[in-house]
Amino acid sequence: MAPSRNRGKLAYKLLFWFLLISLAPMGFVGWHLVGITQQSLRKETLAMQESLAIGFSDTVYKYVTTFRNVLTETAALEDFVSMSPGKQQQYLNRILQIHLAVLELSVLNDKGMEVLRLGRFLGAAPPMRDFRTEELFIAAAGARGQFIGHLERFQGLYPTVTISVPIVDQRTTPGRTVGVVSARVSLNGLSTMLAMEFPASGKSAAAVMTRDGFLIAHSDPREIYRPDARMPAEVEKVLSSQDNVKGGGEITLAGGRRLLGAFSLIDKLDWIVYIQQPVEAAYQTASDMKAQIFRVLIWVVLFTVLLSLAVASHITQPIRILKDAADRLGKGQFEDLPEVVTTNDEIGDLAHTFLGMSESLKEKTGELIHAKQELEKFTKFLEKRVDARTRELKAAQDELIKKERLAAIGQMASVVGHEIRNPLAVINNSIYFIKTKLGQGAEGVEKETDPKIAKHIKIIESEIQQANGIINEILTYSRQRELKPERVLLNNWLEELLSIYPFPPHVAVDKAFDPGNPPIEIDTTEMQQAVRNLIGNGVEVMPPPKGGKVTIRTAIPEPGWVRLDIGDAGNGIPPDVLDKIFAPFFTTKARGTGLGLAVVRKVIDRHRGRVDVESTVGVGTTFRIYLPTAA
Amino acid sequence: MTKQPKLLIIDDDAHLRESLAEVLELDGFECHQAGAAKDGIAAAGKLDPNIVIMDIQLPDSSGFQICQELRKRSKTTILIMMTGRFLSSEEKKQGFELGADEYITKPFDLAELSARIKQLLSRNAAKG
Repeated sequence: MAPSRNRGKLAYKLLFWFLLISLAPMGFVGWHLVGITQQSLRKETLAMQESLAIGFSDTVYKYVTTFRNVLTETAALEDFVSMSPGKQQQYLNRILQIHLAVLELSVLNDKGMEVLRLGRFLGAAPPMRDFRTEELFIAAAGARGQFIGHLERFQGLYPTVTISVPIVDQRTTPGRTVGVVSARVSLNGLSTMLAMEFPASGKSAAAVMTRDGFLIAHSDPREIYRPDARMPAEVEKVLSSQDNVKGGGEITLAGGRRLLGAFSLIDKLDWIVYIQQPVEAAYQTASDMKAQIFRVLIWVVLFTVLLSLAVASHITQPIRILKDAADRLGKGQFEDLPEVVTTNDEIGDLAHTFLGMSESLKEKTGELIHAKQELEKFTKFLEKRVDARTRELKAAQDELIKKERLAAIGQMASVVGHEIRNPLAVINNSIYFIKTKLGQGAEGVEKETDPKIAKHIKIIESEIQQANGIINEILTYSRQRELKPERVLLNNWLEELLSIYPFPPHVAVDKAFDPGNPPIEIDTTEMQQAVRNLIGNGVEVMPPPKGGKVTIRTAIPEPGWVRLDIGDAGNGIPPDVLDKIFAPFFTTKARGTGLGLAVVRKVIDRHRGRVDVESTVGVGTTFRIYLPTAA
Repeated sequence: MTKQPKLLIIDDDAHLRESLAEVLELDGFECHQAGAAKDGIAAAGKLDPNIVIMDIQLPDSSGFQICQELRKRSKTTILIMMTGRFLSSEEKKQGFELGADEYITKPFDLAELSARIKQLLSRNAAKG
């Protein structure tokens, strides 16, 4: 299973909140600290740069005044005041020898005309110049008493300054200005100094410039030794607009570079010393701090993530297991549940509760399933019962319908039979009267009746008998009388019955009785009727002249039962008719009610017995009556 | 036989009454008829018959009631019950207890009936 799956969504939620809660304040504090640091760094850096600039401005001024002092001291020499060109040239040459920065020296007379001119790179007899209207002369010879200025680039590259001091004859009071000595001094030394102080390898840079942007010195030699050397326009603009003698601030260059710059004004020269440092360098510490905070944050995030995952895993693992188990439970799988860890905390309690619940659920489900099975069983049982009962009811209903029909038929038959008996009785009476009258002559003497009339009278009497027989059959069948069982010995009872049965002469009787002679309990009237019906049928199917044999047998087919066979040697019954012969009113005879065998079946049924028939066409028919023996 | 035995037939079927009466008259009985129970009882009271043959089912009454009534009046009168249907043993027993002497089922074997009546009469006469 994948780890993420192990931890689940809850883990990520926890993680998110952990991170938010732990990192947000830290990030905020870190950011704030960096800000504070930057502020103080800026202040510190600017202050430092400013003080450096102040210090440097002092140095620059001293550098320049050193040359001025050399000139002043030289001009004060007696030999120099005498304005003797030879002596002056001697002194000036010495200056050139000693001070390598001095490039050119001139002496002007009190009219401002150049009278002596010495230079390192001047040829022999250089032309003399007129300085009468030059600031150089006017300022030096005037009240100011000196001139420092006239900045230009020697040979277009090296910045130079011209310094002039008056030559004053102190022998008169007040002193009389007899001329001006002027020197053109290279300022490369300043750049060298700056370069030493702010090496190119460092981030800081320093420069000296005039208010109008002339670049006097720069810590980077590449910046200074070129004809159009100037500071960047943004820096120049800021510096030239300053009223204060010192200060500092942030400057953004055109390229987006940010600088921290500080300046100091060299008051007496009106020069500006400028020191700059890229913001990045100034803020190095803050950046380091930022990076450190960032690293720490990364570590914290990593640590927190891992810790959270571990914790979330630890917390959610049991919950997940519980969930899996609950899922399985939900699907009805009570076996092979995942091992639920039970720890000593709320999750452990939950697990315990869950285990209890699953047990209870299992039990309840088991009960439910059992109950369901029972119910199904019971339902099936009920269905079977209902089916069985339905069949029984149907059978009972069929039986009832049959019985009702038979009862209705019986009732009708009874009424009809009864009503027919009356006219039958009247006919019988009348024919008896006629027969008697015809047989009596006058005075009561018997006389012969006309044979034909006598024959017809006999026919009528016979028909009356037959009609009465039919009525008797119907009434017997439909009679609802109670069974009156009496105990008889089968053989004896049969013997008696046969002895009075009017067998016709063409029918032989074959008796074969079981010697057991079992006792049976029967309603003799009804059973007699049944047996007589069967014998009667047998006799009927064996008419004269052929006749035949009626076979009467008893047997004990099994203990508790007797069998009475009554067979004939008639034509037999076709199979398609065989199963209908016991139905009431079914008959194949020209004259018959179709009730004979129905009565037989009814009687045997009433005796809890059974009657079968076995018939072979052309051979004969045997009825088998099974009856229970008496106890 | 100097005096003919008096015989009363009570039946609602006139043909049956008449045919039976005339057959029995041939055998020497003096036959009277009644079509209803009420008439029958009245006739019996007037005639004092030796024999009464009555149907069990009559429009106005049951033959058993007539039988009971007549038996009250005379111990010797021969009372014969006629029926067109099967009688149960209970019914027969009840009839005998009420005083009936004999049951006959329609249609009758007239020779047998005649003989039976004569036999009953001669026994009565012997007791008499």
